[in-house]
Amino acid sequence: MNQPHIFHEIDNSMTGLKDKILLMASLTRQNLERAIQALLTRDIDLARMVIGDDSDVDDLEVKIDQQGMDILIRFHPVASDLRLVITSMKTAHNLERISDHAVTIAKRARKICKSSEPLETNIIEPLYTMAETLLRDALLAYTDANTDLGEGLKSCDKQLDAAHKEVVALLSSRLENSEGRAESLLHLILVARSLERIGDLAVNIGEDSVFLSEARDIRHDKRKSSDLGENPA
Amino acid sequence: MNDLLEKPAIVPTSTAAAVEIRKVSFSYGSTQALKDITLDLRENEVTAFIGPSGCGKSTLLRCINRMNDEIVGTRITQGEILVEGINIHHPSVDVVKLRRDVGMVFQKSNPFPSSIFENVAFGLRMRGERNNAVIAQTVEESLKSAALWDEVKDRLQESALGLSGGQQQRLCIARTIAVKPLVVLMDEPCSALDPIATAKVEELIWNLKHDYTFVIVTHNMQQAARVSDRTAFFYIGELIEFSDTKRIFSNPRVRKTEEYITGRFG
Repeated sequence: MNQPHIFHEIDNSMTGLKDKILLMASLTRQNLERAIQALLTRDIDLARMVIGDDSDVDDLEVKIDQQGMDILIRFHPVASDLRLVITSMKTAHNLERISDHAVTIAKRARKICKSSEPLETNIIEPLYTMAETLLRDALLAYTDANTDLGEGLKSCDKQLDAAHKEVVALLSSRLENSEGRAESLLHLILVARSLERIGDLAVNIGEDSVFLSEARDIRHDKRKSSDLGENPA
Repeated sequence: MNDLLEKPAIVPTSTAAAVEIRKVSFSYGSTQALKDITLDLRENEVTAFIGPSGCGKSTLLRCINRMNDEIVGTRITQGEILVEGINIHHPSVDVVKLRRDVGMVFQKSNPFPSSIFENVAFGLRMRGERNNAVIAQTVEESLKSAALWDEVKDRLQESALGLSGGQQQRLCIARTIAVKPLVVLMDEPCSALDPIATAKVEELIWNLKHDYTFVIVTHNMQQAARVSDRTAFFYIGELIEFSDTKRIFSNPRVRKTEEYITGRFG
């Protein structure tokens, strides 16, 4: 809705809320990128930076929740305004969890870096590329109210899930003859797990973006349609 | 599905229409105030009329019990209004009886300059009720229904004008329901009340809708969202959107409605 509110303070507050989401999204993506770089380039300092910077993302989540509450109390938003507040608060929560996964990756990277045994960390890179693309598209769906993009994330996430399974199977098979690399391989499996979870959280953001622009709740659509199939109305 | 989830928490209300408004147009002299309005007011529901000043919502409300008949030069130029299936403009309809069946509560409380008791008893006496025991019982029941009994039971013979604004408004509601109307029309009933008095009136509407059909005109969007089942949005004499209140305030279909309820009009 492009038309401004008559009471301009509502627009100011809504814009402030969206700006904080965009800032949080930028920091989260940066944390994720740095965590993977730390892993791929064996950069312990970069991993430490990610772990330290996560508190900025945590603080922003709290600020977004406070601002959302403030808007609800002061302006009693309805319709698209209400959906923007609800969706922004949920998106902030999802971004905070994504940043937590970046921290998990950074911690695993730090441990892998400390091991003297070399490890083929680049196996993980395609998973990162897919998860990062999902996250980028989910945030675009939120900022541009792009329903098609938001709805399309589920199928992309399936590809990530399949790739995750392959990587875990490959790493698990190497565990048998790991010769002292078992711990690092396990760390890498957990990194893969975090990337897979980031894909799920990006899908959540995409689903919320569809609700934001069209008030359509597409969560659990698959289960809903199977329920209808079993118990037709 | 879990057994607990199978049963609806709220039993859906009746979908029968207490009032049917069919293609109604209305004019003040040469000025058309309502254009081709069609909507049903369901029994035992609260319907809210919203819209900017001059949109026609109060005019339509006053059409339902023919209050506009009192204004010279006004007329319904087309269409009809049915209350319980009866055309209210049929020559056989007694307007006094119509206004008993379709009661009205106004923006400003308007108790008569008489006792609290007599205010509530007035409609009964006008109806011809002479049995004092019946009158006393009905006054008590009406004041209890209006959540006013406990506050006034010891001073029923005192002047109604001594009550607070909120109490006066609830007294007017008690007076309206004492004659057991089918429909209660409310024209901004809380606009002059403080939040506590407003909450009491809203609680009253909520509790009484099981027995009556309510229509409330309000400029307070939150009030419409709180108390009504369905909401009609009017703009320059036209009905722009009429839907479940939840739908109107979460995802209205018409852009004009969205602009109005989110404060983007202008």
